[in-house]
Amino acid sequence: MSSQPRAFFTLDLGAATAAAALVGHIGGRWRLLAAAAGPAAVGPEPLLDLLAGRLRAADPEALAEIAPRSSAGSASDPADWPRLVARSTPPAALAALAASRRQRLLLERAARRAGWRVLGASLDESDGLALSRLALSADVSAILVGSDEPPGGDERDGLPELIALAGAASRRRPDLRVVLAGGATLHAASFRASTPAGPPSGAEPAAPGGSALERIAGEGNGREVLLAAGAGAAGGSGRSEGEELRELLAAVRSRPDDARRGIARATEALAHLFDRTVETVEIGLDGGLRSRAAPAGEAHGRVAARRVESAVAALVPADPDESVVDGILAWSTVPLDRYRLGDRLLELRLAPWSEADGEGALLRVAAARAALERLVAQSPEIEALPPPDLTIAAGGVWAVAPPPVVALVVADHVRRAGTTQLALDHARLLGPLGTIEDDGELRAVLTDLAQDLLAPLGSLILPAGLRAGRSAGRLVVHAEAGATELDLVPGGLELVDLPPGQAATAELDFRDAVRLGTRGRRFATRVSGGLGGLLVDLRDVPLRLPERPERRRELLDAWQSALWTGLRR
Amino acid sequence: MRRAAGPEVTPPRDGPPAEVEATDLAAVPLRRLVVAGPLVRVRLQPGDRPLVSAGDALLPGAPLLERLRDAGLVQVAAGAIEPDGAAGGAAPGPAVGREPQPGDRVDALEVTAGRLGRRGRERRAVGELLYAVDGHWRMAAGDHRQAVESPVAGIVRAVRPGIAIELALSGDGLPGAVASGEAARGRLELAGGPDAELRPGELDVGLAGTVLVVGSRVDAETLTRARAMGVRAVVAGGIGSADLRGLAASEARQRASLHELPPFAVLALEGYLRRSIASPVMVLLAALAGREVAVMTDPPLLVFDGADLALPDRDPAWIRVARGPLAGREGRWSGRAGLRRFGAGVQLEAGFVRLAPGGHPAVVPLADLQRFG
Repeated sequence: MSSQPRAFFTLDLGAATAAAALVGHIGGRWRLLAAAAGPAAVGPEPLLDLLAGRLRAADPEALAEIAPRSSAGSASDPADWPRLVARSTPPAALAALAASRRQRLLLERAARRAGWRVLGASLDESDGLALSRLALSADVSAILVGSDEPPGGDERDGLPELIALAGAASRRRPDLRVVLAGGATLHAASFRASTPAGPPSGAEPAAPGGSALERIAGEGNGREVLLAAGAGAAGGSGRSEGEELRELLAAVRSRPDDARRGIARATEALAHLFDRTVETVEIGLDGGLRSRAAPAGEAHGRVAARRVESAVAALVPADPDESVVDGILAWSTVPLDRYRLGDRLLELRLAPWSEADGEGALLRVAAARAALERLVAQSPEIEALPPPDLTIAAGGVWAVAPPPVVALVVADHVRRAGTTQLALDHARLLGPLGTIEDDGELRAVLTDLAQDLLAPLGSLILPAGLRAGRSAGRLVVHAEAGATELDLVPGGLELVDLPPGQAATAELDFRDAVRLGTRGRRFATRVSGGLGGLLVDLRDVPLRLPERPERRRELLDAWQSALWTGLRR
Repeated sequence: MRRAAGPEVTPPRDGPPAEVEATDLAAVPLRRLVVAGPLVRVRLQPGDRPLVSAGDALLPGAPLLERLRDAGLVQVAAGAIEPDGAAGGAAPGPAVGREPQPGDRVDALEVTAGRLGRRGRERRAVGELLYAVDGHWRMAAGDHRQAVESPVAGIVRAVRPGIAIELALSGDGLPGAVASGEAARGRLELAGGPDAELRPGELDVGLAGTVLVVGSRVDAETLTRARAMGVRAVVAGGIGSADLRGLAASEARQRASLHELPPFAVLALEGYLRRSIASPVMVLLAALAGREVAVMTDPPLLVFDGADLALPDRDPAWIRVARGPLAGREGRWSGRAGLRRFGAGVQLEAGFVRLAPGGHPAVVPLADLQRFG
């Protein structure tokens, strides 16, 4: 936005969903005026027409106020208004090649947590022909060759062969990105000697910050080879093992206007703006993102951020195996056999917006639950941290789900003892806004939009360490409308009606000490209302469900039905 | 089995097209019925020998490649490499004065280690160079090859040994949703209507060489029988993922026994569930009955020569309910219905579709609809 427009569209163009919002400068600040989402296959233009039409019908004066003027003074066509666009990076596969199975697993983990779909092979499990097949496969767009630094005893002999294999593949496929990690970087000269020199092709990966990208600029030339620390390398300055490699791989994969990168940046800006810890969990058709940002440093002048992006956390992975199908079956309230469910999931990949109502809606929620479960499993370093002050659900998967159910799904899967406020990126603004390059401009827009940006889902109180019994204590919620008192029954899910915009104080008095942020018996916490109200979750941490499918479905259905208006089964 | 005339297909028209706002229809997902001059890919494995070069014009039946059925990794001495004499000009090989490169087809002396460090046996091997380590090349080579003919006419856009041959086809393509097997060609036969389901017992050798359109769904048993009867490809509305896996496993078993299989492909036009074939697609297939067509798998396409094909005019407002409770029903678009509440309380943008002439229009989520273009 180089000039000063009075209105712009945001577009989040995902693999399944296109989401558009109209933002206008009214009353001295940016306001969200309209938002809609639809199938990506249809494209964004009908959505923009729809938004402009809705505003024209609801408030023609507002439309006249924000509409940019042509040189002749007439209002311009909304289709010509500025757009802030974020796109999901198309799914891509990476071949992780190692000398040993042990190293292959390390490389696969790093690549998986950087958003890649990973195909792996090692020389101790397969021969050079199988590895060559993998490297030359048209599905693969990058190769990662890695070893310990220095190479382990099980890797030393195989590394020269892997380097030669990667060099030959790169020579035959100039479009391949090649990343050498750990001890494999010692063979960079051999690799370069085996490939023709040439200028970088394509766009350089955008810098996520950190040393990995400095090493690209210093040692690699874009197309030839990118160098990084090993998958098992200990990270310096508080970084986790293999984080440098993961950052590099994420940068290699993402496009500059990548929606997930935008969501992570917007999450950091919100943490700075609210001076609160913010965590965003996003699920899309091709992958998921977990991004956490917390104020840090002197006077909270900076933000400490972590993010994990994973193709494993896709709503429906590209080639769902039995474990994926079983995972979804375990959360499904619809009785389906494995084969039937497998075919329904493949159909969901072909046409993600079809059958979005009725049983299809229940199936989507089950798939979203399983995807969120996989995302949490992929991000143990974030799961180990205390719960954030604000948890945001984002992504196309929630486009047609009832907001209170979104709150329940988050409560079921992101289970850490404590209190958190829940919100939904309902207009899919985080991704596009996160592409604003200037930090100051991004924070200014977010400050204006803070009231409209997120739909409040409510608050979640989740104590851990409750003893089984008839009653664990009492809860009193002091709100504007009066006080509500509840008996706290272990294993239950209590709902307190607390509408959006209302704040309250929740006082909890337990018979025995529990964990709720800290360990104790009496707690008082401020909570805010939302579309799902206040959820007091007294179930196990982690959640335990019956083994028998029928009983399990009944229990899930009972929890879901309490929050799902219009669900008639 | 009905074979002569095929099913009775009525063009999807129930009166003159009404006035329909273009912007309204744009909200309905578009299904492209025909793609002109599509680009397709025939995948290659290391060791497969392409028999064409970029720029070559292909006709159906022309030699396209040789598949190496028993590819293995052999080690050859760098100093004993010669161009593969049989490769001709099509497959790349080391030119005079040029160092061998990955992807070259060569004739070389295979080096095998003998017992107790003695020199092993030596023999000539023909194959594709993969990479060089310590003065020796690793090569993909084998003894059993199978010739593959081009099922389509077109121009070779690129040949990437070990990766793929890319073709720009001279015909038209009907896009499908899912395909499996190896690209194949044959005479198109309609074995049933859009809702039919073919039983294995209805197949006989009289159908050898055909591309068979079988209706709403096909299972693994029928596919296995069709392949055994010499059918070249099966086209259906849907095919289950378990049936696709069963077919792939059966093909892998036969390949492992080095049994030479003729190419056989399966194309699902709608997806993985039982679903009738859309009437505009059925009209096209009925017009193609008796003609030579091909099924390509990457991307899934039914390829045909549509130059002299007479098709009735299509009604631009003709809509198919592709998914949901009304899946398979078709009718005319009657306009947008706005945001509507559907099952489980879900609110979705919807449209009116008149499913029967003179009847009340049904309200259907836009995302469950398809228009044809």
